[in-house]
Amino acid sequence: MSSIIEPVKTGLLKSFRLLWLLVKIIVPISCLVAVFDYYGIIGAVAGFFSPAMAYFGLPGEATIVLLLSFFVNFYAALGVLTTMALSSQQITVLAVMIGICHELPMETVVCSYTGLPIPVSALLRLFTALGAGLLLNMIYILVGGG
Amino acid sequence: MEVVTLIVQTAADSLLNIGKIALYLIPILILIELARYYRIIEKITARIKGALDFLTLPQEAAFPLLGGMFFGIVLGSALIIDYSREGYLKKRDLMLIGIFLSISHSIFEDTFIFAVFGANPVILLGVRTILAIIITRVAASFLDCLAAKKT
Repeated sequence: MSSIIEPVKTGLLKSFRLLWLLVKIIVPISCLVAVFDYYGIIGAVAGFFSPAMAYFGLPGEATIVLLLSFFVNFYAALGVLTTMALSSQQITVLAVMIGICHELPMETVVCSYTGLPIPVSALLRLFTALGAGLLLNMIYILVGGG
Repeated sequence: MEVVTLIVQTAADSLLNIGKIALYLIPILILIELARYYRIIEKITARIKGALDFLTLPQEAAFPLLGGMFFGIVLGSALIIDYSREGYLKKRDLMLIGIFLSISHSIFEDTFIFAVFGANPVILLGVRTILAIIITRVAASFLDCLAAKKT
């Protein structure tokens, strides 16, 4: 029985560490975004990008989520995503894009140890994410979900 | 004063959301640890030979590839560095694993967290895995083509 306890303990410890990290990231960023929103800054950014976001079937506000994902991390993007009113289809498209391209400053460096140059992996992930978002939205439209 | 209320409200909401994530995250991370403890990956590496052949990668690539896919890019990279020191994998293979993992890593954790908030997990997993396979295959042809030109 003792063999099972060890991995469970490690898993629990890792969960708590990750959850604490989430609190430290998601709470301040969500608050900051809420304040920006209050003063109309988010609206201005969203308005500017909304034509581009329309290709992904997303509202202009999704720009903030994508930028947070690319340059900060997955969890910062998640924190803002949860405050937005999105359909299940829109969340799926956003999730695919975030899943492919997140935390570039850190992960491209980690990946460079495999011999993959940092700019190559950054651009590869950026374009893959954008392409995947476009494609998925098109499929949704074709299937009739959009 | 309105702003202060807004901040408090947002902080409370986001804590609630993190609580929601915790409900899913804790069991998943425990399962991942159990899988690592019982060396599940070693057991499935033999079964993905077909997929590796398609990606033109050697059998030795299975472990870092699956490790990164399931457990995250940091572990994947650690395995990759370890393997490259041992000399099991060629430079080209290492780079291909890097490309694959940069698009598709820690797929269970990411997918489950988004599923909590209403994303479709099947589409999420499918799109990332299929894209990673296609792009790695294209990159393999491209790298081989470059290498052929040099010689």
